[in-house]
Amino acid sequence: MTASGDRSAQAQRVAGPGDDAAWAARLAARDPAALREMITQHGGALHRVAYRMTGDAHEAEDIVQEACLRLWDQAPTISARHPVGSQAAGTLRLGGWLQRVVVNLAIDRLRRTRRLSPGEVPDDADEAPLADALIEAGERDAQARALVLALPDRQRAAIVLTYYEELPNAEAAAAMDMNIKAFESLLHRARTALRQAFAGEGDAR
Amino acid sequence: MSVNEAKQGDPITPGSPLARALDGYAVPGLSAGFADRVLAAAEGAAAPLPPLRRRASNGRGWRLGRGIAIGVVSFGALASAAAATGLLQQFDIPVPSAEKVWARLTGSQPAAAAATAPVMAAAKPKSDAPAALAPVQITGPIDTPEELAEAFRRIDEVREGRFAARRALADQRIDSALERRRAAGLPLPTAEQEAAFRDKVEAAQARRQQLADERIAARRDEMQRKVESGEALTSEDILRPLRDDARALERGERIERLRRMSPAQRREALRRLPPEERRALIEQYRAGRAAEVPAVVPPAPASDPAGDQSPAE
Repeated sequence: MTASGDRSAQAQRVAGPGDDAAWAARLAARDPAALREMITQHGGALHRVAYRMTGDAHEAEDIVQEACLRLWDQAPTISARHPVGSQAAGTLRLGGWLQRVVVNLAIDRLRRTRRLSPGEVPDDADEAPLADALIEAGERDAQARALVLALPDRQRAAIVLTYYEELPNAEAAAAMDMNIKAFESLLHRARTALRQAFAGEGDAR
Repeated sequence: MSVNEAKQGDPITPGSPLARALDGYAVPGLSAGFADRVLAAAEGAAAPLPPLRRRASNGRGWRLGRGIAIGVVSFGALASAAAATGLLQQFDIPVPSAEKVWARLTGSQPAAAAATAPVMAAAKPKSDAPAALAPVQITGPIDTPEELAEAFRRIDEVREGRFAARRALADQRIDSALERRRAAGLPLPTAEQEAAFRDKVEAAQARRQQLADERIAARRDEMQRKVESGEALTSEDILRPLRDDARALERGERIERLRRMSPAQRREALRRLPPEERRALIEQYRAGRAAEVPAVVPPAPASDPAGDQSPAE
């Protein structure tokens, strides 16, 4: 393990999982190991959100990378606002901050994509071997993708955050920069739209 | 919202057909070397640019408002200081005193107000000041020669006090002007020049006092005739000529200012006046020229607008 890797592990042990202010301080000090640790801790969840929002693996990775780079750039500002040991440090959640950035980036990209190439997002061509299990899994995947991707952007984000990521409504609302009442209204509309679309598919069959 | 719609918005129950359908949305893992790529991009990226603008929380609106408030207060302070030091009068900008404004509004006795002006009070002679400067109160009609004589006597007392105060004020101003010149290192007049100047000021004062005396004497003769013939004089009979005199004096000052203007400026200033006032001004100007009254305003002594009148005449 490198020296920076040692620091990273030590910081995790000393600071504990909730103290993101220490991580922000290390990022502000331009510690690459801290950024790697952030990717390890939050990269998977961020990628899931981005992928389920866009339906594209490459796009999702781009979004996660951009979010991580923004954290790297803005770490000095974040650290200055949440100094280690202060009361503000207890309120800092880098995971939530990254999730907010990913949701906003995903919505931006979806809007841009829709503007450049109007129409529905095409399903990926299935290039896997034509085994029965894979075909069945692919069908389920395609159905779920179709259901989620048919939702408007913000409703989609609400479903992804609350159903797939199982975030409490308050955290999901914070990730979308909304107040809780507005978010609950949005979530209600998203579930209604989802059920109607699912029922429509059943009728079609 | 119907019951059916409300149910459709309920949370998605795990194990339900919709949940099973949604759970089929599988997510691939991050590609190998993703973290390395992000780190390489982070280390290779240029430092972020500083923010271009200040945040809105810096209170631009308050700064602007504070600037305006400071400007207004400063202007008010400068204007007050200029008015208080007489700077405006040096540039021929009339600054009416509060007493004069009130007198014009109410039509009350301007000379009596002038008697209580701070300048006069500051320059009053110490010997007989309190009694001499007290305004004469006229209550009830005057219908006997004794009452009229008593009124004239009291008025003369006040007049004497005023003349003394005016002389003291003129001396004080000349002294302070000399002191300022001395402090500024400017050349001072010789003793002969100074004495000549003081004589000139005194002569001007005497001339103005003489003119006032003539007017007063004529008016007193008329009043005495009225009282002897059994007519009672009210305060209005005494105060009205005073007001006329005050107006005449104001017009005199205005004429003096007009004299110092160029012909074009004078025409413009006259054109701005109300017609009645303009006619009165021109008439007085012509009368002054016909009588060849020297309209010399002494430079140093007090330019009290109601100075030539006694308070109750």
